[in-house]
Amino acid sequence: MEISDLTVTATLASLVLDEAETQKLGDEVSRMLSYFEKMSEIDVDGLEPTTHALQKENRLRDDRRLSNEAQPDELLECAPDLEDRFILIPNVL
Amino acid sequence: MYQSFIGLEIHIHLDAETKAFCGCKAHFGDEENTNVCPVCMGFPGVLPTLNEKAIQMSYTVARALNCKLSPNTKFERKNYFYPDMPKNYQISQFAEPVGRDGYIDIEIGDSIKRVRIHDVHFEEDAGKMIHAGDMSLLDYNRAGYPLLEIVTEPDLVIGEDAEAFLKSFRRLVRYLGVCDGNMEEGSMRCDANVSINLKGAGLGEKVEIKNLNSSRFVRKALNYEIERQSGMMDEGKAVVQETRLWNENRDQSEPMRKKEDANDYRYFPEPDLPPFRPSEEFMQDVENSLCEMPLVRKQRLMNSYGLSSDQAEYIHEEKYMADFFEQAVFSGAEAVQVYSWLSSDVKKLLNRTGLSLEDCPLSAERLAKLISMIGDGQISGKIAKKVLDYIFDEDKDPETICNEKKLVQISDPTAIGKIVEDVLAAHAQVVEDIKAGDARQMGFLVGQVMKASGGNAAPPVVQSVLKEKVLG
Repeated sequence: MEISDLTVTATLASLVLDEAETQKLGDEVSRMLSYFEKMSEIDVDGLEPTTHALQKENRLRDDRRLSNEAQPDELLECAPDLEDRFILIPNVL
Repeated sequence: MYQSFIGLEIHIHLDAETKAFCGCKAHFGDEENTNVCPVCMGFPGVLPTLNEKAIQMSYTVARALNCKLSPNTKFERKNYFYPDMPKNYQISQFAEPVGRDGYIDIEIGDSIKRVRIHDVHFEEDAGKMIHAGDMSLLDYNRAGYPLLEIVTEPDLVIGEDAEAFLKSFRRLVRYLGVCDGNMEEGSMRCDANVSINLKGAGLGEKVEIKNLNSSRFVRKALNYEIERQSGMMDEGKAVVQETRLWNENRDQSEPMRKKEDANDYRYFPEPDLPPFRPSEEFMQDVENSLCEMPLVRKQRLMNSYGLSSDQAEYIHEEKYMADFFEQAVFSGAEAVQVYSWLSSDVKKLLNRTGLSLEDCPLSAERLAKLISMIGDGQISGKIAKKVLDYIFDEDKDPETICNEKKLVQISDPTAIGKIVEDVLAAHAQVVEDIKAGDARQMGFLVGQVMKASGGNAAPPVVQSVLKEKVLG
């Protein structure tokens, strides 16, 4: 794997890597990619890609409100900072 | 010398009770972060489940847009980092959307244009953010709201086309009952892309414009952008691919971000949501939820009832009004009369009372009866307007109101003759003037008789009786 590819991937994943980490990850990711290359060798022409192997039927929900064990207020308590009921974060605009 | 190409991406909120993948209420205007749960707030370990009604509405829209419907529709994660989506991806569709390769015929001016639909895909809306000072405020009530995106091919040419398209599309989703189409409140949103090129040279560099909150802005923004790009081409400058924001205060588009650092969304199949395979029964329900398309309806209103294009345009704007119209005609009223009442007196009353046709006390049968009572000479047009007021006030049938209020037209010449004699006696000088040749005064006498009859006398009878008594 080219180091530049790794840098782009890291940026997309919002990861900040220093030079040592880049070097270390570069080797590891290259090894992982080689496993995928191995899989790519298999001839899958004419096969439809499968995303879910064990699905027997549709999994649907009626359009009906459900009460939840976790109350909104409890969920809000997990936020780092609140203003009234808004979650407050540094400006991201 | 240049040719322009416009494509639209329209998002509509599907009018479901709950969100796309969880049982939270899908509703605006509630207190911030009250309609939230671990699923739509992106807590670890949660499992999204597809809302059946929302996916059915999606198939209905795709079907109404003549799309090829997917027998096996799939969900993907669209990855990006922005706090409007706490789980760092949006569940959307990419490889196998609900529908693709459709079209819709729309009316632009006097001609019908076919606009191709690239695809219709289902996704979830993001939360709402307010940026204030050095902080941003987050409200996730809207996160996970069921959203449908409709992408057109670049078949539109100028801003007016796009405006006409949006109006037609809005009407369509309202007919289907899947969205209220309110652009101001954001339940229908539109992004546009536009490119220009020398004639015959194909598409140019695509510029995307966001923040178009009304169909009027869409028209203005696109025409502005076509002008801007034409100006650049004239000067030999290259148009760059970018996203621009429409600034409604300055009436201009402004650069937002260049495409070279555009997001790579790294779509991949959503492991938590299996594909959806519509059953025969589901597809039958979709068929059953279709209705006559607005444009077809408009043409039928013109052909079957003799309405003009403008009249049919007015009547077909809302499905309920078109249904009401046809019901009134079916009950025996003349089509143009029904149109006239709906477009004038009824409309005024609806505006004044703030009611909609659907929930006002006037039914199609009541309107038809009112019109037939005028036709039969039971009441005058003037009395009918009073009766209409009473229908709105008292929620009663027109005959009942006429009986209770003694609003009956007097058309018996003998009865009118008595009123006329009283009026003539009170205005002897006027009678003399008329006899001497001042015919203009006749109108004054008609007015006096009408007033004396409480507005109930039949005007044609009043005129003939007056003529007879004054001029002999």
